[in-house]
Amino acid sequence: MAAPLHSSLERRYARLGLLLIAPTVLIFCAVIVYPLVSAIYLSLFRVFTPTLESSWVGLSNYRELLASGLFWKALWNTLVWTAGTLTLQIVLGIGMALVLHQNIWFRSLARSLILFPYFISTVVAVLVWKWVFNDLYGILNHLLMQSGIISMPIDYLGSMPNAMISVILVGAWKYFPFVVIAVLARLQTIPEPLYEAARIDGAGPIARFFDVTLPQLRDVLVVIVMLRAIWDFKEFDLIWLLTGGGPSSSTETLPIVVYRQAFALNQMGMAAAWAVSMMAILLVFMIVYIRRTREKGPA
Amino acid sequence: MKNSLTFPNGLTRRNLLAGLAAGTVMSTLPRRAHAQDVTLRWWSPQGAPAQAEAYKFQIAAFEALNPGIKVVFETTSDEGYAPQLAAAFASGEVPDIVTHLPSFSVQTYYANGLVEPFDDVINAIGADDYYAGANDVFKTADGKYCGTGIGNTAANMLWLRRDLMEASGIAAAPATWDELRAACQTLQKDGVFGAPLPYGQNSMTSLIFIGFIHGAGGQVFTPDLQVAIDSEQTRNALEFYKSMRELCPPGATNYSWGESLTAFVSGATATGIYAGRVLANVVAQNPGIADHVTCTTYPTISADVAPWTFNDFPSVFIPAQSRNKDAAKAFAAFLFNPEGYIKQLHAAPGHVLPVLKSINENPAYQDNDIIRKYPAEVDLMSSAAAGGYNLGYESSAHASNERAGEVIASNAISDLVQRVVLNGDDVNAALGDCAKAIEAIMKA
Repeated sequence: MAAPLHSSLERRYARLGLLLIAPTVLIFCAVIVYPLVSAIYLSLFRVFTPTLESSWVGLSNYRELLASGLFWKALWNTLVWTAGTLTLQIVLGIGMALVLHQNIWFRSLARSLILFPYFISTVVAVLVWKWVFNDLYGILNHLLMQSGIISMPIDYLGSMPNAMISVILVGAWKYFPFVVIAVLARLQTIPEPLYEAARIDGAGPIARFFDVTLPQLRDVLVVIVMLRAIWDFKEFDLIWLLTGGGPSSSTETLPIVVYRQAFALNQMGMAAAWAVSMMAILLVFMIVYIRRTREKGPA
Repeated sequence: MKNSLTFPNGLTRRNLLAGLAAGTVMSTLPRRAHAQDVTLRWWSPQGAPAQAEAYKFQIAAFEALNPGIKVVFETTSDEGYAPQLAAAFASGEVPDIVTHLPSFSVQTYYANGLVEPFDDVINAIGADDYYAGANDVFKTADGKYCGTGIGNTAANMLWLRRDLMEASGIAAAPATWDELRAACQTLQKDGVFGAPLPYGQNSMTSLIFIGFIHGAGGQVFTPDLQVAIDSEQTRNALEFYKSMRELCPPGATNYSWGESLTAFVSGATATGIYAGRVLANVVAQNPGIADHVTCTTYPTISADVAPWTFNDFPSVFIPAQSRNKDAAKAFAAFLFNPEGYIKQLHAAPGHVLPVLKSINENPAYQDNDIIRKYPAEVDLMSSAAAGGYNLGYESSAHASNERAGEVIASNAISDLVQRVVLNGDDVNAALGDCAKAIEAIMKA
C-alpha cells in the first residue's frame, strides 16, 4: 500500500517541479530561443528594413556573404582587434592587479580609481579619446611636437595601421579593469605559505611569479580570456564611434557590417545572415568555454 | 499537518502570490487614454543650441494656440538619421514630423510608402509664396509632393580668408582647381593648412566628392538614372582630390561636417568647404577673423565647367505611420509662420536660407547682424542654393533618384575616395567596384 502513495507523492513533486521551472523555461524561450530562431528565419529572406517587406531567398544571403571578400576582411579585422585588445587587457590587467596587491599607499583609493575606465560610458570615453587623438588640438600630438619627437601631427584614426592600433589601445584601456578585478580577487586567496616555501627554496620575485602566482591564476585567467574574447568579438560601439569602420573598411568588424547592412543598406535579411554567421563563429568560443567550466565542476 | 509559510506581518504565501499576480496583471493593462492629449515627436539633425532655442519658441507658440497638443523635439544627426529612421519605420515608433533631412531621403521613403503626401500643407503655407521651382525636388512619380523645403543650403561653398590671401599675394579667389591648389600651396604655412576637405568614410565625403565629379563635368547617374560614375571626369576628380590630400590636416582622413567646419573656423585651415553656418560660428567663436572671411562657389576643373552647388534641400515631411497626422500637418504649416520661421533662420543665418519670397522680403528677416554684416555672401549663397542640386536631383534633366539616400548611406563613394587617395589602390579597379556597388543598390 505504501508504493502507490509514494508514487503519487513523486508525481505531485514532479508536477510541482515542472511548475516551478516553467517560468524560467518560458523566459529562456522568450529571450534566447525566440530571437535566435527569428534571426535564423530572417536570414533566409530578403527584407527591406523600413517596411519589413520580405521575399524568400533561402540560403542565397549566406552564399552571397561567403562569396564576398567583405566577410573575410571583416572577420580578419575582428580577429585582429580581438586578439590585440585581449592580449593587452590581460597583460595590463595582471600587471596592475599585482601592483594593487602590494601594500602601497592609498591602495583602497587606487583600487577604486582603477575601475574608472570600465565604469565610464563608452560614448564619453570615445569623445575623450577622440579629443586626445585630434590632429590639430589633441594633447598627444601637442606633447609629441613640443618635445620634438614629431614635426607634423600624427593621424591616429584615419590611416592604417594607426587606426587599428588606436582602437586596440582604447579598447585595452577601457576593459582591462575587468581583468584587474578578477585577478586581484584570486591573488588574495593564494595561500601565503606557498610564497614562503618558494622563498626558502631561493626563488626570486620573477621565479615566484612564474612558479607560484601564474599557476594559481591559471583557472581564473581561462575564464577571463573566454569571457573577454566573446565580449570583444562582438564589440560595436567603441569601434563604431572611434573610426566608423574606416579608413576604407580597415577597422570594419563583423558587428559593424551587421549594423550597416541592417540600417544603412536596409537589408535586414542579409544583416541577419551576417549575425548568424557571427554567432556560429562565437559558438566555437562558447564550446571551449563550456568545456573548460565543465572540467572545473565536480566529477 | 498542513504546513503554511507565514510572513512576520501575518501575510500568507498564498496572499502574497495572489497580490503579486494581480499587480502583474494590472501593470500590463493600458492606462486610461487621455483622448484630448496629443504628443508630437519632432526629429531634426539641425539641433545647434541657437536653433534649439528657436524651435522652443516655435513649439511654445504652437502649444499656446493648440491646447492639448504637446511637441517634443528630438535631435538626430546628419550621419545617424538614416539608421534611426530605418529602425523607427521598422518598429512603427516613428516621429510625427521630421525636418532638415535631404530631399533625396524623403523621396526614398515616399517611394516605399513611408511618407504622407504633403500637398495640403504646401497649400496651407501658400504655394504661390515659394520661389519658382522650390518644391520641384519634392515632386513624386504620382504627381504629389512628399514634403517641402524648410530652407535652402549651399553646402559646398569655398570659404576664404582675405587676410591670409593678401599676406600671400593672392589677389583673386580661385576659380579653377589649378588655381585653388596653387593658392592652398601658398597659404599652407605657419601651422595653417590649405583646406579641410573630408576623406573620412562617411556621408560628407560622398556628398562633397559628388560635387567634385560635377566640378569635373561628370555625373554619378545619367538623366535616366543609369550609373555613370565610371568616367574620365571622375578620374580627373579623384586625381585632383588626391593631390589636395597633402594640403589638408592629417586628421582629414576622418573628417565629417563638424570637423571640417571647426578646422576653418578655428583658423587651422586657410580655406573651408561648408554652408553658411561658418558665418555665425566665426563671429561667435573666432571674432578675430570675422572681418576677413568671405565665400565663393567652389572652383571647377576649368572655366568651361559651371560651378555645381550642393543643396541638400532641407525638408519637412510627415511619416505615413504617424498616429497624429492632422496635428503634425498643422504644426508643419505653423513652422513657416513668419515670426517663428525667421527666428529659426536667424539661429543659423546664411546657413538655412528662406524658401518663401515673403520671408526674404520681410524686414524682420533682413534685420540680423550677420545678414547685415555679410550681405554679399548671403546673397551669393542664396542664388547658388537656388540653382543647386544633389544626388537625388543631379540636374534639371535628371529623373528623381529614389535610391540616392541608400547610395550615400552605403559609403560606396567615400570608400572609392579612401581607396584611391589613402590606400593608393588602382583607380580603375576602385572605380569599377564603386560602380558595381551602386548598380547593386539601384537593382536591389
